[in-house]
Amino acid sequence: MTTDDHTAEPTSATPTRAGTYRRESGQGAFLAIAATGIVLALVPIWIGDSRTLMGVAITGLLFASYAISFNLIFGSTNQLFLAVGALAGVGAYASTIASDRLGLPFPLTMVIAAGLSMLIGGAFSWIAVRRSLGIIFTGIVTLTFSLAFDNLLLGQRDFTGGETGIVVKAGSNTFLRQQIPPYYVFLSVVLIYLVGYVVLHRSHVGWAFRALRDDEVAAELTGVDVARYRIYAGAIGGGMLGFVGALWAHVEGFISPATFTFVHVDVPALVMLVFGGIGTVLGPVVGAAVFTYLGEVLASFSQLRLIADGVLLIVLFLLFPQGVVRALRSGVSGLRTRRRSQQ
Amino acid sequence: MTAVIFDGLVLGLQFGLLGVGLTVVYGMGGILNLAYGSIAVVAAVVMSVSMRAGLQAGPAVVLGILTAAGISLTLNSTVLKPVYRRRGEDRVLLSLLLTIGVAFIIDGLLVWRFPIEALGLNVGWEPVSIIGVRMRAGSLLASAITLLVGGSLIFFFRATTTGKAVRSVIQDEVGARLCGVNPAAVRTLIFALSGVLGGIFVATQAMTSPVPISAGFEFTITALLVTVVGGLGSIRGAFLAGLILGIVNAMSSFYIGSYITTIILLAAAALTIVLRPSGLFGERA
Amino acid sequence: MLEVSGLSTGYDSHVVVLGVSVDVREGEAVAIIGSNGAGKTTFLRAICGLLPVSAGDVRYEGRSIANLAVHKVARAGISFVPAERHLFPEMSVAENLALGAFPNRPDPDQQSLVFDLFPRLAERRRQAAGTMSGGEQQMLAVGRALMSRPRLLILDEPTTGLAPRLASQAYESLAALRTLGMTILVAEQQVPLVLGLADRGYVLENGAIQLEGPSAELRDNPTVQRAYLGVV
Repeated sequence: MTTDDHTAEPTSATPTRAGTYRRESGQGAFLAIAATGIVLALVPIWIGDSRTLMGVAITGLLFASYAISFNLIFGSTNQLFLAVGALAGVGAYASTIASDRLGLPFPLTMVIAAGLSMLIGGAFSWIAVRRSLGIIFTGIVTLTFSLAFDNLLLGQRDFTGGETGIVVKAGSNTFLRQQIPPYYVFLSVVLIYLVGYVVLHRSHVGWAFRALRDDEVAAELTGVDVARYRIYAGAIGGGMLGFVGALWAHVEGFISPATFTFVHVDVPALVMLVFGGIGTVLGPVVGAAVFTYLGEVLASFSQLRLIADGVLLIVLFLLFPQGVVRALRSGVSGLRTRRRSQQ
Repeated sequence: MTAVIFDGLVLGLQFGLLGVGLTVVYGMGGILNLAYGSIAVVAAVVMSVSMRAGLQAGPAVVLGILTAAGISLTLNSTVLKPVYRRRGEDRVLLSLLLTIGVAFIIDGLLVWRFPIEALGLNVGWEPVSIIGVRMRAGSLLASAITLLVGGSLIFFFRATTTGKAVRSVIQDEVGARLCGVNPAAVRTLIFALSGVLGGIFVATQAMTSPVPISAGFEFTITALLVTVVGGLGSIRGAFLAGLILGIVNAMSSFYIGSYITTIILLAAAALTIVLRPSGLFGERA
Repeated sequence: MLEVSGLSTGYDSHVVVLGVSVDVREGEAVAIIGSNGAGKTTFLRAICGLLPVSAGDVRYEGRSIANLAVHKVARAGISFVPAERHLFPEMSVAENLALGAFPNRPDPDQQSLVFDLFPRLAERRRQAAGTMSGGEQQMLAVGRALMSRPRLLILDEPTTGLAPRLASQAYESLAALRTLGMTILVAEQQVPLVLGLADRGYVLENGAIQLEGPSAELRDNPTVQRAYLGVV
């Protein structure tokens, strides 16, 4: 495939290639995560009185976790998993069924949930690598999984309650159902995911990720086992999604297929990640925060929500393929250097 | 049994048509148009609204089809413009993400402005018996139209100079340009054709069962599955895959039940990708 | 017929060919010789519009065609046969030839001319281009290029991937075309072959013309002999 006019521009930075994780100097990344943690920890002081708003804030953290996991899978290793919602859903339903039907203690079921999603995520990567599927086919295969999972939930009424969903009994009467504590539980998860992300990227695994993103063939030639690191990312990311999905089930006390569909999870998570900047540490959190806030502002125009998401998706990908946060940052530093050079 | 297979064939022909509309656009320029189903639903809405406003069914259908073609062309010349500066997988990926955005906008607008619209085209003739199977007139007309359109498509791609030019761009764009083919012009034609096929598809669907406003995503997915099973970019493959999936769909929804059917279809598509990424009929054009 | 003056071109911001001037008169066969990576392909691609011309001009029959879209150059009467051939692999020989005549319907006279030149293609009329041998594909590429009744035929390394016997056959057909009055510009590494065909030649090295002159002169030039003819 070639471009139709010969004045082909040099292939410009693409949404996928744009965000290679940059090793930030010293402890900068950890300080930034700590600062984010402190800011977010103060949120309940502001909105803690309102059960609704706390619910919104918790959802925001849930989406931040989705976006961080997706960032690890897609941003770090170029695997387009269009099954973010489904992997979280697998965790949520597995944990709920295991605790409520089989009577297992619910913390254990969350481990089971994470393990199951980890297996599935790893399997996706394994298949994609073994059959060298490429970004697009990986996307389509995982999308068919999302849709099949959705249909399974709708069809297996006895187990899943179908469209109406199921009430999650385990976890009730614990602090997870109170107004404010679950917020801090989710916040801890987000911070752990962020720290994990940075630690992972500073290890030899991160080295391999960078190499395989920059040039897969070259990475392979220099001895990076591309397949293995892809599977790591798929499995770890899958496990993170399954865990946070299960946690959500016990906090919310109710799950339904609609909570985990492609349209309701994958697309927003993608928008948030692209907005924040693929491959950045804090991008997913910033994206989730901005879009959760926007969603709240637009809540009264819920029918316009879909349109707004669509417009944003297009505008973001066309104007800021590297993420708004990064664009702003480089804009600001550009201004700064210009001002400095004027002095 | 025969009746079920007949139903499957009718559905399969329609799937084939839907798939061709997506696959030609992909083959042409590596654009995976995920707004395709939503554009088809716009055609349905235009047909339905204009019929309620007093227009005859025929002109209403034509108007709907033209609208779909228009939206498709607009998409090509606006949102997708920057996509053509990318190459290979980057191009497919960006087109996919942008057209998801377009699908959201279209779906959002439709749900907002026409929340309860649904297109039904009543073919008021008596049912007809074929080898002992009573076929609804709507199904028969739908398959007749689909066959006719399918046949014309094959003729167009095989026998006309323009059709050959389209295939030449799919097979080797540089070669086509060296032969004097203008890829941009061919692309315009193909986007229009894609919209037209989407429009014809909803019209034939509406002859057998109403097309609801929310069907866009499902249409897109069906088209995607048909395309992938048939081999991305393969016109013949899309038709054959459409037929197979249509029959599988009819059989399993009759004998097994509807949600498992969907899962079987999805699994079949996933399996095809994994085992034969070039599609069952892995040959292009 | 074709006047290239001071042409510079390259990929993205990387200049490969710098200030090259070449002209081809009606009825002439002109060779561009040079080693691998000298910029021959890049130069020809720029003439045909496949690469942007960043400086200089390309005039064809008095009209500038620099930076004209590829399909417009093709329709203006210049046929380019790239080294990679760019055939339509899943189309038959006949269909490939038909597209050569695009946007017109294939002219039967021209088609019989092609079949006279390459009888092999007539035998394989229904075969898919992608399933043919390298030599046959080469014939088809030239045949397809001829279908538009071009006034100027440009070939890039027509002997790429061909066994020596097939390579000289390819040049025999080009010689036959010459006798029919076709104007030819050809880039080639196989210097003895191409100098047998061409009236004049240019030596392109490192993106610039090093030497030019009638074929006989080039053949006798010590530098050419050392670099390309294997004479020590």
